[in-house]
Amino acid sequence: MAFNLAMFERFAVTFQQDDIIFCEYEPGDTFYLIQSGRVQIVKIMGDIEKTIDILQPGEIFGEMAILEEAPRSATAIAADQVKALEFNRQNFEVLMQGNPQIAFKLLKLFTKRIYDQKRRFMILTLNDVQARVADVFLMLSETQPTAGSETDELSFETSVDDIAHWAGMSPDKCRQVLNHFVTQRRVEIFKDRIVVKNINDFARFVSSRRNKQRGA
Amino acid sequence: MPKAVQYKANSIVYFQGDINENVYILKTGKVGLRYSDIETGQEINDLIQTGEFFGVKSALGKYPREETAIVLQDSAMLVFTVPEFEQVCLNNTRIIMKMLRIFSNQLRRIHKQVRNLISSGEQLNPETGLFRIGEYYNNRGNFKQAMYAFRRYLTYYPTGKYANEATENLQRAEGKVQAGAGRSPSSSSAPASGREMSDIAKSYYNAVSLFSQQKLPEALKEFQKIINESDSAEYSAKSHFEIGRCFFALNDFDRCIQHYTAMIQKYPKHPDLVEALFFVGNCYEKKKDMAKAGSFYSKILSMAQDDTPVYRKAKRALDGLKGE
Repeated sequence: MAFNLAMFERFAVTFQQDDIIFCEYEPGDTFYLIQSGRVQIVKIMGDIEKTIDILQPGEIFGEMAILEEAPRSATAIAADQVKALEFNRQNFEVLMQGNPQIAFKLLKLFTKRIYDQKRRFMILTLNDVQARVADVFLMLSETQPTAGSETDELSFETSVDDIAHWAGMSPDKCRQVLNHFVTQRRVEIFKDRIVVKNINDFARFVSSRRNKQRGA
Repeated sequence: MPKAVQYKANSIVYFQGDINENVYILKTGKVGLRYSDIETGQEINDLIQTGEFFGVKSALGKYPREETAIVLQDSAMLVFTVPEFEQVCLNNTRIIMKMLRIFSNQLRRIHKQVRNLISSGEQLNPETGLFRIGEYYNNRGNFKQAMYAFRRYLTYYPTGKYANEATENLQRAEGKVQAGAGRSPSSSSAPASGREMSDIAKSYYNAVSLFSQQKLPEALKEFQKIINESDSAEYSAKSHFEIGRCFFALNDFDRCIQHYTAMIQKYPKHPDLVEALFFVGNCYEKKKDMAKAGSFYSKILSMAQDDTPVYRKAKRALDGLKGE
């Protein structure tokens, strides 16, 4: 990172591997910029600990706490020994003055998070379970760097459980829907990936279901 | 350099779905943003105020425009590329602050909407949620994580409905960790050994629980003991704060003021600094020294964010003083 962070050394904190950095539901008033090591973001859903993200050095997490003190929405665990800069509302001003680039980086991060959540919301509001699963693939295709109109077939390195999570349904239900797509030859399931034969077909399918639902 | 651009009424600055990375600021005229609500699909129109930026989110996030910007009256605006906009922000951090506030509110709202859809009514309150996380890790044998969650639980809810269970589970988990491979539960803030760390934590929670049972002299003694005997910076600092609360609860306002004044000198960055100032202000108010009380409350208003509980408390107190 091009930022000069030497002056922030006094905000440095170290976590040992497997340490919880913060826990879902606890009030949050700090956010972190990773300097070294990786941080795993997890959520416990029912009986499963679900990894939402693995963050790398240079990334920011806990950022929701900056402006409002609300419960953390996920748990952050040190995946390695982690060194991070810890900021809170009190020293945020110092950060702003000393390094507005980080604040600007936060701003960019927020725009991305808002977009992701909105997209997720769009998926979840679909009543039709097939459309919901198809829309998950569309969402994933939008964030895949290879996404383009040249090829219809796309391969996703993702599991049924992941798709189920995004689609807001049980893995069993999701598998059922996917198997249905397999019999229609719209999807192929492999051990380590799922292939969508024609992503544009999914796009049309989702769009028609969404319009129908809205009575358009 | 940002470009000055004129738009005629009824023209379009950009359409929903367009991809372009410009940010606009409205100088004069009238511009509306039209988009459909993500929940209902209903059409919504928002008006841009003069001096307001628009097109920021999609430009910074590099995603398609989510709304159509329609010129309602002849308008003049400035057009920035993202690097130009970044420059403006870096030179004027108030813009970043303001946008961060807006974006974080939006994010919070959409987050909640998503959660409502997923959990369909089965929403945990934070207290239960935190305890359940401790239980989850406990049941899976991840004692370090379980300890963290239970400790947090006891810090925030010392008299909560799972407090007894959490204390028991915490002690059991600590025993397991110590009996285990001898790995000390690491802490980010204190270089203490596992054994000592957990003893301090235990005494601290014990003292907090005495306080909540209104056994104030006993609690006071325990907190003092922690400060004298432990070398844990974290628990010493926490205990300092709690001692002030004890004095306040004992109506010993002079000692409360004295104590917090010393604490602030010792820990100028104490996480509960503002709360401590509030207690000091409150002490002066009880002592009928309204001028001093007022100056402390004012100080809090200048230090705390205006959406925090302590800010509201101080504001209310200050308004109360003025009313008298």
